[in-house]
Amino acid sequence: LRLGTLAPKNSLYHRALLEMGEAWRVAQGDGSKLIVFTDGAQGGESDTVKRMRIGQLNGGLLSVVGLREIDPSVSALQTLPLMFRSWDEVDHVREQLRPAMEQRFFDKGYVVLSWGDAGWVRFFSQQPAAAPEDFKSMKMFTWAGEPEQLEVMKALGYQPVSLETADILPALQTGLIEVVPATPYYALAAQFNGPAPYMLELNWAPIVGALVVTRKAWERMSPAGQAALREAARVAGEKMRAQARTEVDEAVAAMVKRGLKVTRPNAEQMAAWQALAESVYPQIRGRLVPAETFDEVTRLLAEYRARNQ
Amino acid sequence: MPRPADSPPIYDAPSERAGPWWRVHRVEDTLLSLVLAAMVLLPVLEIALRSTLSVGVANAAALVQHGVLLVGMLGAAVAAREGRLLSIAGLGRWLPERFRWVHRAAAGGLAMAVTGVLASAAWDFVAVEREGGNLLAYGVPVWWVEAVMPAGFALIALRLWIRSGERLADRALSLAVAAGLLGMAPLSTATPVVALLALAVLLGAPVFVVLGGVALWLFAGDDLPLAAIPLNHYQLTVNPSLPAIPLFTLAGYFLAEGGAPARLIRVFRALFGRFRGGAALVTVLLTAFFTSFTGASGVTILALGGLLMPLLQGVRYPARAGIGLITSGCSLGVLIPPALPLILYAIIARQPIETMLLAAVVPAAVMTTMLVLLGIWRQPRDTAPTAFDAAEALAALKAARWELAIPLVTFGGLASGLVTPTETAALTALYAFIVEVLIYRDLSLTRDVPRVMAECGLLVGGIILILGMALGFTNYLIDAQIADQVSEWVQASIASPWVFLLALNGLLLLVGAFMDIYSAIIVVTPLIVPIGLAFGVHPVHLGVIFLANMELGFLTPPVGMNLFFASYRFGKPIGEVARAVLPALAVLAVGVLLITYIPAFSMWLPGVLLR
Ligand code: NA
Ligand code: NA
Repeated sequence: LRLGTLAPKNSLYHRALLEMGEAWRVAQGDGSKLIVFTDGAQGGESDTVKRMRIGQLNGGLLSVVGLREIDPSVSALQTLPLMFRSWDEVDHVREQLRPAMEQRFFDKGYVVLSWGDAGWVRFFSQQPAAAPEDFKSMKMFTWAGEPEQLEVMKALGYQPVSLETADILPALQTGLIEVVPATPYYALAAQFNGPAPYMLELNWAPIVGALVVTRKAWERMSPAGQAALREAARVAGEKMRAQARTEVDEAVAAMVKRGLKVTRPNAEQMAAWQALAESVYPQIRGRLVPAETFDEVTRLLAEYRARNQ
Repeated sequence: MPRPADSPPIYDAPSERAGPWWRVHRVEDTLLSLVLAAMVLLPVLEIALRSTLSVGVANAAALVQHGVLLVGMLGAAVAAREGRLLSIAGLGRWLPERFRWVHRAAAGGLAMAVTGVLASAAWDFVAVEREGGNLLAYGVPVWWVEAVMPAGFALIALRLWIRSGERLADRALSLAVAAGLLGMAPLSTATPVVALLALAVLLGAPVFVVLGGVALWLFAGDDLPLAAIPLNHYQLTVNPSLPAIPLFTLAGYFLAEGGAPARLIRVFRALFGRFRGGAALVTVLLTAFFTSFTGASGVTILALGGLLMPLLQGVRYPARAGIGLITSGCSLGVLIPPALPLILYAIIARQPIETMLLAAVVPAAVMTTMLVLLGIWRQPRDTAPTAFDAAEALAALKAARWELAIPLVTFGGLASGLVTPTETAALTALYAFIVEVLIYRDLSLTRDVPRVMAECGLLVGGIILILGMALGFTNYLIDAQIADQVSEWVQASIASPWVFLLALNGLLLLVGAFMDIYSAIIVVTPLIVPIGLAFGVHPVHLGVIFLANMELGFLTPPVGMNLFFASYRFGKPIGEVARAVLPALAVLAVGVLLITYIPAFSMWLPGVLLR
């Protein structure tokens, strides 16, 4: 079993994959072997999907960036700004969407083993900023691999600059960009807090991922191997989701020690953010997120919030 | 870059009006030039739109990146047509004339077999991608562009066949060789593929055939899909930073083919001519500067050699020392921003391009100073210095002012924070075009520009093909986890970072002697970066060490590319050129040691400028 991921070697994600693979290897037996390629050694998310298609890799731990190359419906979980207010909401919607999404992945040749999360995206900026208006004069990073995201940023009235992830740090240093949306865990690892020491405490969107294997590889496994892999993947997924809930706060605390200043938007600013995000939903619906999936997410969330009031 | 296989290396117009196919060839060259032109104009348009209207071209970056794929395959096909795919050795050259048809047919047949398998693997890749159904921009599916790979490899195979012999009988023989190879047990470990490929390289088969052949053989041996090799080629060409390579090269071609060399020589002569050794200083600075743009030190030797030799002889500089100085000066460009190897290393080592370029500034100055001192020392003492002529100096400066401003465009762009490295490269290419074509009018828009652009596309295409195949080989090293094992073994057997650095220098010297610089960067970088990190060597510093060693590699046999080009340009045997560069080699080796053991040379400038 050959798996690829962008997660760093010896990270929690890597260790979870190794434990899971070991459980599978024991159950599968006879000469079965597990290789995990970390740190994007086999390329970025899109490359990993391409390598799964040609059969060089059998699976991978991917975020929505890679997953939506297989089926765009997953975009609903990550591409909608300020749609979700908590992990409970993300979990609830995901649980409801899961059977249909996993079926679509299966039809396209992939088996979803488990779902994992990697924290909330927040804004890191060179100057303090709290309200949406404050960010409009600043140049904001968008990832070169996601042209749709650029469209959303432009629709929001921002000045997006599309770059590769490797260029973020020097671009911040030379002023080519002034704001980076990133999860705190990633910002800490990549040291964005140096040139961009202000963080807005606003959970813009969750980073959601999944562990998938190709159907070809799945069907070659013994029933015992399949069962062991499913169970081990479920455990690994739970670990990753639990981690996502704590790592945001841990990473922020670590960066505050190094001089990060956290800005909390007040109620009025929050309302402005919410209004802004909702103003682009019509552009996302039908383009970045399939219309029916978008409608289902809003319906599920409305029901959930009505029930929990 | 290795020596082109058959015909003279540059400055012969591709596609003369000869042969039954010249109109088709003209269309092919025009297409190549148009793609290059689009790669220059799209980023410039994007900058303009972004800064005025805050909008941009939909997916402009991705379009330019796929332009590299197109230029790469088209350029390689043109290079195959002209018999100028890069190859290393030419054992065939020493064969008696009447046996040459045998080696051409054998090397051609092997090259065809490998290229044919590549075409079929690329077709498999495209078929899978088509099912994936991703869009590039404006509703165009990505696979439409990717389809250029199987088509390109097929065309290259066809042209390798046409060039495999003069007579029909020779071509029939090469076809039989290819068919025999393909018919032999499917590329399994049992086939003596590596021996065959080694033979092919000796016979003068193109470099990409050897790298691609080894990669195919390794993947087949591990039961991995062969489509992984075209996938790696695709992955390399669409790297967001790679467009900088053809764009800077294009800028260098406009300058080299325009009147820039003569104007710049005049400036440097007027400024430094009165000093003893002024001519040597001019030689080193100019050759280094030009190579940093063209990325191909061979091009610099061919373009400047004829201008600099008379200058040196005018001050009674010893002829052999002069050849040594020009030949070694050209290799300095490897470390001078925005040299192509620097950009390529940054891409492969995943370091920010800006950091890498800044890090190279001081080490490049160190190496250049060493060579300049050697040059001045070799200058005969009894030559009377010419008096400094202020009027001439001013006139020369004024005449060359537009070309002297080029570093402002390039580094101003990078430092301003207004544009990305790719956009900087596009601006530099556009600027060089405007200067040489519209301001100085040294190049005619209708007569010269298409020729220069096709020539640049041909060179870049040959290089990109090698890079893509080398990445396939590297991917195998990663896939089979050989990289990890090497890293663990080195860490277990070497304790001191000092010993590690010395061993690294030795290893890189060997690599430089046997591999061309581009394959070396792609294959060796992923192996040494993690080891360097384990010994506390920063990847940026490691890159500078690496490339400084490669400068020596250009000057050492057997694969010292500059030796080949100098031998060709000055009409001297390789052995004599090799002896002529020995003093420079010794001096540069000292420079390499300084750069290796004083990390501050590399790390200080980016530290200061990038906070
Ligand atoms: Na870039
Ligand atoms: Na060499």
